[in-house]
Amino acid sequence: MRPMLRRYGLLALPAIGLMELAAHLFFAARAPAFDEYPALAAPVAAMRQPGDLVVMTPAWAEPLARRAVGDSLMPLRDVARPSESGYEGVVEVSMLGQRDEAFNDWSEVERREVGDFTLRRMVNHGHEPEVFDFVDALDPRAVRVSVGDARCMWTTAARASAGGLGGPPAFPRRRFVCPGSPFFFVGVTVIADQDFRARRCLWAHPPNGAELRIRYRNVSLGDTIVGHGGMYWITERERRGTPIGMRVEVNGSPIGQVTHADGDGWSRFELPVGEHAGSDGAEVVFAVSSVNAEHRHFCFEARSR
Amino acid sequence: MSRLDRSRTIMRRWLTPVQDGWLDVGVATVFVVLYTAALLLSVDDLGYARDEGFYFHAARRYQAWFQLLWADSAAAFAVVDSYWNTNAEHPALIKSLFALSHGLLWDAGPRFAMEGTSFRFPAIVLSSVGVGLVYLWGSRASGRLAGVVAAVSLAAMPRFFYHAHLACFDAPVVTMWTLCAYCWWRSLQRGGWWWPLIVGVSFGLALNTKHNAWFLPIVCSLHAALALLPRASRGLQRKVLLRRSLASLVAMATIGPLLFVATWPWLWHDTLGRVQAYAKFHLLHVYYNMEFLGDNYWKPPMPRGYAFVMTAATVPVVTLACFVVGMVGRVRRDVLPIFSRAFASNTERSRIDGATTVLWLGAIGVQYAAWLLPTTPIFGGTKHWMTAYPFLVLFAGSGVLLAVRRARTSWLRVGHLDRLVAGSSALELAVAAAVLIAPVVETAHAHPWALSSYSPLVGGASGGANLGLNRGFWGYQTGAITSYLDGRVPDRGKVFIHDTAYSAWDMLQRDGRLRKDVRGVLDAAAADVAIYHHEKHMLGVEYQAWMLYGTQRPDHVAGIDGVPVIWTYFNER
Repeated sequence: MRPMLRRYGLLALPAIGLMELAAHLFFAARAPAFDEYPALAAPVAAMRQPGDLVVMTPAWAEPLARRAVGDSLMPLRDVARPSESGYEGVVEVSMLGQRDEAFNDWSEVERREVGDFTLRRMVNHGHEPEVFDFVDALDPRAVRVSVGDARCMWTTAARASAGGLGGPPAFPRRRFVCPGSPFFFVGVTVIADQDFRARRCLWAHPPNGAELRIRYRNVSLGDTIVGHGGMYWITERERRGTPIGMRVEVNGSPIGQVTHADGDGWSRFELPVGEHAGSDGAEVVFAVSSVNAEHRHFCFEARSR
Repeated sequence: MSRLDRSRTIMRRWLTPVQDGWLDVGVATVFVVLYTAALLLSVDDLGYARDEGFYFHAARRYQAWFQLLWADSAAAFAVVDSYWNTNAEHPALIKSLFALSHGLLWDAGPRFAMEGTSFRFPAIVLSSVGVGLVYLWGSRASGRLAGVVAAVSLAAMPRFFYHAHLACFDAPVVTMWTLCAYCWWRSLQRGGWWWPLIVGVSFGLALNTKHNAWFLPIVCSLHAALALLPRASRGLQRKVLLRRSLASLVAMATIGPLLFVATWPWLWHDTLGRVQAYAKFHLLHVYYNMEFLGDNYWKPPMPRGYAFVMTAATVPVVTLACFVVGMVGRVRRDVLPIFSRAFASNTERSRIDGATTVLWLGAIGVQYAAWLLPTTPIFGGTKHWMTAYPFLVLFAGSGVLLAVRRARTSWLRVGHLDRLVAGSSALELAVAAAVLIAPVVETAHAHPWALSSYSPLVGGASGGANLGLNRGFWGYQTGAITSYLDGRVPDRGKVFIHDTAYSAWDMLQRDGRLRKDVRGVLDAAAADVAIYHHEKHMLGVEYQAWMLYGTQRPDHVAGIDGVPVIWTYFNER
């Protein structure tokens, strides 16, 4: 063996070099080119049913998918979803033989190949229908926001802004503006969670020494109010802030308290509504507070199921 | 001449250390010229990294001081601090070269096509000197084949090629570090006063290049101690070795710091306090964010395997394979005898060797050891251990040489193989070509996306993305989308420049690579186009653009091998 190794061992290094060259050429062409994505638009539109989620696997290719299919098929509500559980169906565009594990338990009902992509439509048998989405319902006609005795005024012409690199999330043009700091408002924004995933939510920064109350009228209720709360991860990962409490009331009665401590990340809560289950026209209040309001960039989403 | 004699001639030419003579200095110079040319030919494609912007500004300040020094030296010495306090957290040597180059090759002399190139030129030349130096050391320590393989392997590391273009310190310190180590090695072999003097000077210059130089005395001292062990050095008496080591260490301890202070005007006042502040800045450096295997790390400790995995993922596989072969071969030959008498009889004792293998191992070890400490700040990526790469490729060159020498010796005795090895250097050329072609092709392909490229070991760029390895850094990618920006941004429009420094953006415009009426801003809400440079921890910035512009649909996407690296959003208002 050793004489053979001594005689022909040399060949190993050039062989590795040539194999690497072949591997490089293979991998360089393995992922679909950018100009192959536009071909996805029509097949995805045809496969997607109303209310379906559209996802791209692997996730790093999602910007290309969004560019190809546009906002109508991948709207903000879906792209920055709180979780997948609220969807009845999903169209997964995948490549490189990958699949999103979040849909492992979903049933495939349709599949087709488009170039190097595989399109699958899957349905969620565990889907729990939503009867009310508090983020979608943020509207001055049905929502009143206050801090103590002061009412926060609705505007559609606030100065939109964003913190840029390391700064806070975008402050939307449409929002309830509360007294005090520009950070004190209630409006829809998107935060990056602990995995830097996009989460669409209601910015609800508690004020100093008071409670921020967000009151919804005419809410249709299911059995529970489920949701998630968190902060832009770069803010909460330092774990320096005081906990944030959010008390939820239905028709004047507390149904539960959610506490968010720095480091919890985007975390789920579920509060049974008890005797109010199934009612239409309920009043639901989210009351947010913290002992020290500094950097309490709390953002939450909630739905009734 | 018999086949055996012809083969021996070839072995002498390619596979035997060439310890003296100017021929190899000439070949090294050819490497310097060729690599400089390759870098200059490809520099126009490369955007300006964030830090380059800061160094442009610093270099302009230093240039102004040099001009004042030329015009009125007394006045210049009176206002040192007001000029040299700019970017005083980094040493001045390389920025001073940027300043002089900009003054001579842009302001006052023959011009490059782009102003930014005049700042980059000194680092380009220094990087190329590093490639030539690696050839020289490889040929001196192992043989010309090893030198060629080592030099091209360094030149054809995609990330080294990227850094070699930049007006930064990372590639220059690779050269300065290697230069000092080479001079140290020569000083042990040659003795006299000349080499210790150069060791001291090169150490001083390395100190004034980047803080990686702090490791040099550690490596040299450790090497001296190990070289004095029985059987560690060949052809050198221990007392001679001791004398030469001490001479060079004394030179490092005296000339080094003096030259460091002398060539950095900021240290001319309050020297001790400012040196302490400089050291403190780097020892307590702010932690940056870095994605590794899907997780974003932002405070210590980083995973212990970070530097090793990233080396494996970014250095061409064949280079690493040659490195392993070379390291194992040299350790068996040179290091194991230190610990075992049994190996001593196998050791070639005919030529002088001041424990070369131990020195190379030490140079690699000290760079990577820092990444095993739980407190090492993360403020960059692969560039921080790039100073180990010359030694890595020196082993790689040795590995190829070792394999070829064995084959040549072995094949001569085999009837159907001896024709391949006798009488010509075809074997050496073929093997060198086979081990170098993949790195060269990968490096050419990766440009200008080298910071986002990965080796086939992890599946290339898409494999790196799948694994969750960092995809960008320093906002360098902006240079790749200037044509899009020129065509898309309205007249006198604004662009949110994200991770691009203002001064880097400004240089793109001064170069003529970007319309001058387009304004770079840091307020995405006020911009017509928002740039997003992808890094995991920056995703929040992309989400800001969604909210501000009311769309999640990128307007333009660019990247490598199907992997998005930079994309933009258009504000329809």
